[in-house]
Amino acid sequence: MENKKKKQSIYDMIREYLDEAERLKEGIPSIERPSWDLQACTLEPLSSIFVTTREVIITADLPYAEPDSVKVEPINSDRLEITAEMRRKVKFEEMGIVHHEGEFSSFSCQTRIPMPVDMRHIKTRIKRGVLEIRIPRKRSYKIPVE
Amino acid sequence: MSSARIIEKNNVPSGAFLVHGMPDVGLVGVIAASHLITEYKMAETAYMDSELLPPVAVLHEGLPYAPIRVFGDGDLVITISEMAIPADNIQLLMRTLLDWGQTKSPKLTISLSGMPVQNRQDIDIPKVFGVASNAALLKVLEDKGIEVLHEGYLVGPQALILRYCAEKNLPAIALLAQSFFNYPDPEAAAAALNEFANVTGKKINVTALLEKGEEIRLRARDVMKRTQQEMSKMKKGQEYDMPLYV
Repeated sequence: MENKKKKQSIYDMIREYLDEAERLKEGIPSIERPSWDLQACTLEPLSSIFVTTREVIITADLPYAEPDSVKVEPINSDRLEITAEMRRKVKFEEMGIVHHEGEFSSFSCQTRIPMPVDMRHIKTRIKRGVLEIRIPRKRSYKIPVE
Repeated sequence: MSSARIIEKNNVPSGAFLVHGMPDVGLVGVIAASHLITEYKMAETAYMDSELLPPVAVLHEGLPYAPIRVFGDGDLVITISEMAIPADNIQLLMRTLLDWGQTKSPKLTISLSGMPVQNRQDIDIPKVFGVASNAALLKVLEDKGIEVLHEGYLVGPQALILRYCAEKNLPAIALLAQSFFNYPDPEAAAAALNEFANVTGKKINVTALLEKGEEIRLRARDVMKRTQQEMSKMKKGQEYDMPLYV
């Protein structure tokens, strides 16, 4: 009985692992969550990562953001935090939503950087309300071509 | 068998301009179509019903609506989707829309959409490119001063609409404004609408659309996010590819 239980458990674990891999492959988070945080009064901005041979380029769409308030802070070697205050508070009510109550005054998100980068040389700019962050990739070795 | 159908609630005008505003890069088509519907105070005349769509009702002023709807007035019929089109079923859904559209004998089918460019942040006024279902319409676009895309790949709703129209010998064009790939782009929608006015001769004021730009970008975030997931399944990035020489 114990043996049977154990086998079932491993099978379940494998199945869960494969299900999770499939979800990740499709880009679907296992639990859907809102793009806002009522307690922190923050909205999660749309963001994307583009990798070139030399740089990792991260962008984030920040409508209503006060450009001077935009902050980009490395949390560790592979994670950045982006925050920005909004010029005005946005309420659910303004969007015709009455089944939620609350207002948002800033943007906040964390982005994982998919490869080693040199955080000391981050360059940022904001134009058309879109933040652009450029981080040079680390080049730790060179292969000689004969 | 799964299927899709258009249910008509009121009379849908025949012989009109048939405009498609489907979710795609920058939500250009949806934002542009939504602006047209507001500007012309158009009423819903039909909607799509299908087992291939997620079980969704869109609420407006407390009442439930289908996510893919048709609005009509005079010589203008507009289809718009308020949610991302599921990539797995897009062929059948677009085919259904086109087959139904054909019964209304549109004088011209026009898809409004975006053309992703990586330097969008540095472009003040997005340029609009055109594609057409036949050579005569390409000439019309050129005569209107719209640069025609000669080689490349189109991926998504407007690609299917154009291909199916060419197959059925229906007059169709797509107006593609330079846009952000995955951020809502009201400026690109305004540029597409300006060329829409150029082609159709209809008067469209895009000032209100540009003034509401930030509000639209904020409200459209969630639809953009889901559209991005579907675009990824469609391999939308293929539009960046260089075409094979054949």
